[in-house]
Amino acid sequence: MAEIGEKRFSLKKIIRARGGKETMAIYSLLITLIIISSLISSDFRTSRNAINILRQAVLLGIVSIGQTLVILTGGLDLSVGSTISLGACLTSGIMLGRDGLILPVSLLVLLVGTAIGMGNGLVITKLKVPPFIATLGMMSIVQGSLLLYTKRAIGWVPTAFLFFADGQIGFVPFPVLFYALLLLAFSIFLKKTTFGRYIYATGGNEEISRLSGIRTRSVILITYTLSGFLAALAGLFLASRLAMGDPRGGEGYELNSIAAVLVGGTSLAGGRGGLAGTLAGVLIMTVVGNILNLMDVPGFWQWIVKGLIIIGAVSVYRKID
Amino acid sequence: MGRETDDIILEMKHISKSFPGVQALEKVAFYCKKGEVKALVGENGAGKSTLMKILAGVYQPDEGEIFLKREKVQFNNPHDAQKVGISIIYQEGSLLPYLNVAENIFLGREPRKRLGFIDSSTLYRKTQELLDELSVEIDLTAPVYDLSLAQRQMIEIAKALSLNAELIIMDEPSAALTTQELDRLFQIIHSLKDHGVTVIYISHRIEEIFHIADRVTVLKDGKVVSTTSIEEMNEEILIRQMVGRDMDGRFPSKGEFEKKKGLSVVGLSCQGVLHDINLELRKGEIVGLAGLVGSGRTELAKAIFGVIRPDKGAIYLNGRKIKIKSPRDAIDNGIGLVTEDRKREGLILGLSVKKNTTLPSLDRLTRMGLVPEKREREMVKKIVQELDIRTPSIDRQVEYLSGGNQQKVSLAKWLITESDVIIFDEPTRGIDVGAKFEIYNLVLNLAGRGKAILMISSELPEILGLSDRILVMREGKMVGELLPQDATEEKIISLATGLDKGS
Repeated sequence: MAEIGEKRFSLKKIIRARGGKETMAIYSLLITLIIISSLISSDFRTSRNAINILRQAVLLGIVSIGQTLVILTGGLDLSVGSTISLGACLTSGIMLGRDGLILPVSLLVLLVGTAIGMGNGLVITKLKVPPFIATLGMMSIVQGSLLLYTKRAIGWVPTAFLFFADGQIGFVPFPVLFYALLLLAFSIFLKKTTFGRYIYATGGNEEISRLSGIRTRSVILITYTLSGFLAALAGLFLASRLAMGDPRGGEGYELNSIAAVLVGGTSLAGGRGGLAGTLAGVLIMTVVGNILNLMDVPGFWQWIVKGLIIIGAVSVYRKID
Repeated sequence: MGRETDDIILEMKHISKSFPGVQALEKVAFYCKKGEVKALVGENGAGKSTLMKILAGVYQPDEGEIFLKREKVQFNNPHDAQKVGISIIYQEGSLLPYLNVAENIFLGREPRKRLGFIDSSTLYRKTQELLDELSVEIDLTAPVYDLSLAQRQMIEIAKALSLNAELIIMDEPSAALTTQELDRLFQIIHSLKDHGVTVIYISHRIEEIFHIADRVTVLKDGKVVSTTSIEEMNEEILIRQMVGRDMDGRFPSKGEFEKKKGLSVVGLSCQGVLHDINLELRKGEIVGLAGLVGSGRTELAKAIFGVIRPDKGAIYLNGRKIKIKSPRDAIDNGIGLVTEDRKREGLILGLSVKKNTTLPSLDRLTRMGLVPEKREREMVKKIVQELDIRTPSIDRQVEYLSGGNQQKVSLAKWLITESDVIIFDEPTRGIDVGAKFEIYNLVLNLAGRGKAILMISSELPEILGLSDRILVMREGKMVGELLPQDATEEKIISLATGLDKGS
């Protein structure tokens, strides 16, 4: 009897499918976290704070999209942090407050990020260097080059450019809207396009994918390129938020984005997971930071709590499997 | 068949073992005398490895007893067997590549000085003594990855000796050896005999059995056919005992088909694995490709499919020369490959039935970069029904399907792609009898629809039962072509092992 599931969108099916369970688990954690935080802090449960959290989540959110793609192929990208810093410094350092340069400089920054990502992809696919090492090397190269360019915060951005990080459309912050659209676009890319399918297949098993006619090296190359592009985009956002470029502004985002992706249920081995989980992972990391800040808990406690969440979440996924 | 009980070192009685769906061994009796070389032969799947794994403590028998030096023993794990002097030397080897020869031999049993430091001088002295005993000359400090397969085998033998092994099992030790290395192995086996060590020798190569063994036991379908001293045996009888079986009613009957030109391979060579291969595959024809493991059959399939790049040679499709540089090129030219190892090369276990099925054809179906979801579901549902793939849903991950159903999914991949040429590499390995028959039906059906089919199989009954023509490979060369009416398992084995003087 070959009975085939008919109801494509039934909730039951979504939950029953693997990955569904992980998504359920992670969103339950997020909701629990929000409820507890609301109970213990009256500052937390204000709409202002809610919007603030969303705003804060955008930077990590943008990088984590690229990181998700890369991890789905079975790799990871350690160079995103220094690419963010580079992007931010180039933005402010060249714009120097001139309105006319917003568009050309933004394009230049995105191009540089894309080139960095493509560099990663080429080193991995052509020179066969494992992603960890390739992107670790790239991280060092990019950070070093940036420090040659500037050792301290540099430049300033035109007022109009501040709209990216601080703008409002009605009562919705522009960056939140922007991130929502970006997330939607990449979700469609992953779930609906053939290329998205190939990302999952390549991460699931590269050799079988190749034997099934997928050009796995192009898949990997393009994925790293996208990650570089998105890191540069995050760099633009950072420049807009700080109104200037800080050569260490992106530091830590490589590991934080990997953490958000893993907490979101994407497997480090590749082939399993997705952006719905990553969104929850990003929000969890941001909420934890926010509530601990509101409670005046010293910063190093945040590190400890985040560390516990990463280990706890991944151990739960292991059990679910 | 004289059997003096006093020098019997090992006796296995009434050994039975079954795995889900297969009776691997049925009341097998097997014994060895002290200091003899006992050969164990049989077709793939006859139960040789299972029997030896039971002896080495890897599997536990469902039924039966083992006596060692007249005493009943029971092995719950490999360590139990090792303790009483039974060592097994596996084909794939069990040495650590980055440790050196001496470190490997005494791994976990390193001689120690006070305070727990390793006593290197004793370690190297003991290793040297062992190797001298076997008259093997290898640098003791060489890391194992630097050594040839033959040298590694010798180290494994030395390790077995250092464990005071009285019984050493060698599972196809010759499979990867050159002629000189094989001579060396035989010398070592002789020196083991001189030391009173008993050797159980498993091999597919008939001529070796006659060269080295004192007695031979033939297994077939999990039962012992005979145990004979080698003087009373000859090659012809041995081969017949290994294979001769009733074939009626195990294969569906064939229909008629037209024979037009399909795929031709001309002068295909690939350094070290394929030598000047010529091959003709006509539409609607099933060509069986036989040969021992390692004869280059899989490599030929991979070369046609663009997985490995040949150094020389050309491939023609429908009379037109085609260039195949990657599996993508092969697929675009209508060639499909159903791989041998489903788990490693066939299906992505974490993906659903649907996604696995359409993987090779998605490129063709894609419109504006998007997966045509409705069409995809319809196509997959249709093929799932057609092949009767048992799955609760097409969105089910393939890892939860049975072996037979997984195999059908990996066939479905290529059916949906509408390949004109389909290469099957061991299509029925590891699946049960019922599913096998369905796969046979499918292969015939495909041929009936005008597909050209190349079927690699180690199961000779399968080759004989399905093929319109049978090709045999040995050591990377095409060594024979037989028509099914003239072919017998004996003839194929003779060609495949190089004992073709009789035919």
